[in-house]
Amino acid sequence: MNRMRFLSAALVLCFLAAGFVVPANAQDFSHIEAILERLDRQSRFENTDFSSVLTMVVEDQEKGIEKMVVRQFRRDDGERFLLLIQEPITEKGQGYLLEGDNLWFYDPSSRQFAHTSLKETFQGSDARNADFGSNSYSSSYEVEGYLEGTLGNFEVYIIDLKAVDDTVPFPFVKLWVTKDSDLVLKTEEYSLTYRLMRTGLYPKYTKVGNVVIPVQMIFVDELVEGNKTQISVSEISVNDIPDHVFTKAYIERVNR
Amino acid sequence: MLLTMKVAFRNILRQKKRSFLLAGAIAFGMLVITLMNALTGGVVGNIRENFSHALGGHIFIMGREWTDAGQMIMKIRPDERLDQLLEEHGAQIEGFTRRSQAMPTMIFGSRQTMQMLYGVDFAEETKLLESLIVTEGSFSEIGTEEASIILPQPVGERLGVQVGETMIIRLETLTGQQNVGEVKVVAFIKDQEELGLSAAYTSRSYLNTLLGMDPHEYQLLNMFLTDLDLVDEFARVFREGLRAEDEEEEVVEAEPAVSVTVAGMPMDPMTEREELTPWEGTRYQIMHINQIMEAVELVVGVLNRVGQVIFLILLVVTMVGITNTFRMIMIERTKEIGTMRAFGMHQKQVKNIFLWEAVFLGLLGCIAGLFLALVISFIVGGIELNTDPSMQFFLDNGKITFIFSLTKVVFNTAIVVFISLLAAYWPARAAAKMSPIKALSSHT
Repeated sequence: MNRMRFLSAALVLCFLAAGFVVPANAQDFSHIEAILERLDRQSRFENTDFSSVLTMVVEDQEKGIEKMVVRQFRRDDGERFLLLIQEPITEKGQGYLLEGDNLWFYDPSSRQFAHTSLKETFQGSDARNADFGSNSYSSSYEVEGYLEGTLGNFEVYIIDLKAVDDTVPFPFVKLWVTKDSDLVLKTEEYSLTYRLMRTGLYPKYTKVGNVVIPVQMIFVDELVEGNKTQISVSEISVNDIPDHVFTKAYIERVNR
Repeated sequence: MLLTMKVAFRNILRQKKRSFLLAGAIAFGMLVITLMNALTGGVVGNIRENFSHALGGHIFIMGREWTDAGQMIMKIRPDERLDQLLEEHGAQIEGFTRRSQAMPTMIFGSRQTMQMLYGVDFAEETKLLESLIVTEGSFSEIGTEEASIILPQPVGERLGVQVGETMIIRLETLTGQQNVGEVKVVAFIKDQEELGLSAAYTSRSYLNTLLGMDPHEYQLLNMFLTDLDLVDEFARVFREGLRAEDEEEEVVEAEPAVSVTVAGMPMDPMTEREELTPWEGTRYQIMHINQIMEAVELVVGVLNRVGQVIFLILLVVTMVGITNTFRMIMIERTKEIGTMRAFGMHQKQVKNIFLWEAVFLGLLGCIAGLFLALVISFIVGGIELNTDPSMQFFLDNGKITFIFSLTKVVFNTAIVVFISLLAAYWPARAAAKMSPIKALSSHT
């Protein structure tokens, strides 16, 4: 009987201890979550269209250096984008059309559309198709933890994120976000086995209306030594884009 | 009858040179058609065998299910129905494999390459290890080191990796998330297939971990049957046995779905997104080697028909020659025919002598053609060809195979004999109808 009492008391003490420990360890991530929401909001063109020219320099240790020029059209309100490759000449006319959940790749040589995914790499570069749309950190990831630190001269939050589901290519992401201006300066993307796969650097930004977009991005492949892709954004415009631009017929026609 | 046959045979031997040329023309036609039939038969057999080897079976079972996020993935969970079917038909199954698969990027330093990778239960697939030819390293660590890999030699050379070194594999989980694994190269193997479809092997449980699957799950169940004639029936039995209650009957596509089966990877891009209504649990897709072979057999069928047309054209040309020759023979032997008729030989017997001559000529031509075809196929079939890897699909270990079909040989011989008879018929009838008096008074 005494033994039973002792066990019950021990059990109660354990529960009480656990009750004290859990809240003590739990961190309040609400201000970090607010930052993620702001990051998402300031990357979306809610009321305007967006177009630009992307110049990509792809460094591949085996293939050498390749330059690509891509014209980008975006309509975030409606989840649409169109990427039309203009250079190199061998790939001219190829295009990517996002229509809601569907991303299509068009190849003018076969005149066929093939279904592809935002998770795929863009034309064998270190950029992914998802890199050309708006951010969705707050909806796709949950905060696992954060630190405060510096990156160069900037005071930053170093935020650890974990994907809430498997709709994003990288299950774990680490962000370096400036404290004063909510700008992502660096990202690290990890595999499911938590191995660093890609580092993204965003040294230059520009403000277009209420939207802040990086105009220079560098993606470093952390698995293949020496592979990286640098993207520069130019000819930025927020003028209205005709509806027919975001159609398959347009990609086919523009290539004739 | 025997007398007419004897006379006919003697007549053939009387004009050896002429008979040789006529039989030679027939022999050439027979040689061409026999070689073509044997070659296409061999090609079909080799493609079937090479495909079975490359794909790892005669019957291929894949499982599909929907995730909670509405994404369709390919995997097979342990299933009693499947186990029961395998047990029930065990006598006709030579062997089966349960594998996972991926097309990862293999990375070593600054080099990378994409390579088909099979996740194999090495304890279950002892025959696989026996069939692989090790060029460097050994399989001794396979059982102890889970994160190990067996690489085709050319892949190792391309990456610059050595046996004992660790390399990276980058792949996507079944739901499309990025994942990375580190594997130790334990052995290089000879690129056996030489078909561009060679594969690397790792343990199934390790690959499953990277793909986001449980260790006991898999993606492909491949079966080798004891008899290829059972393939269609087996596919039907498994299709019916594994069909879910609410599942509609699977429409077997007329077009071979190579894109699904070859190494489990689509060979060409999916041009249209398949619209499917999600279902509960696993649904199975059963493919078989004959579906892939349908297209090949179609092409071979066309080739055979083309060969048959060429053969008939050759025979028609020969037939004209035979008719002319027999007309000449008839004129040459007018007096002889008159003498035979005067001594009491019937019209029918005279006609039969000519017709038997035609039959013997046809048969001699066929025998000579068949003999030549056998000699040529024996010589050509013994030569090992160092051709383009894609050509290896048509060959048996680099050699051309000839498969002779008795039915086709008999059929072609019958055609030759029939056409020879047809060619000789009118001269024979004219010879038979000749008046003995006129024939004897003839100056020829």
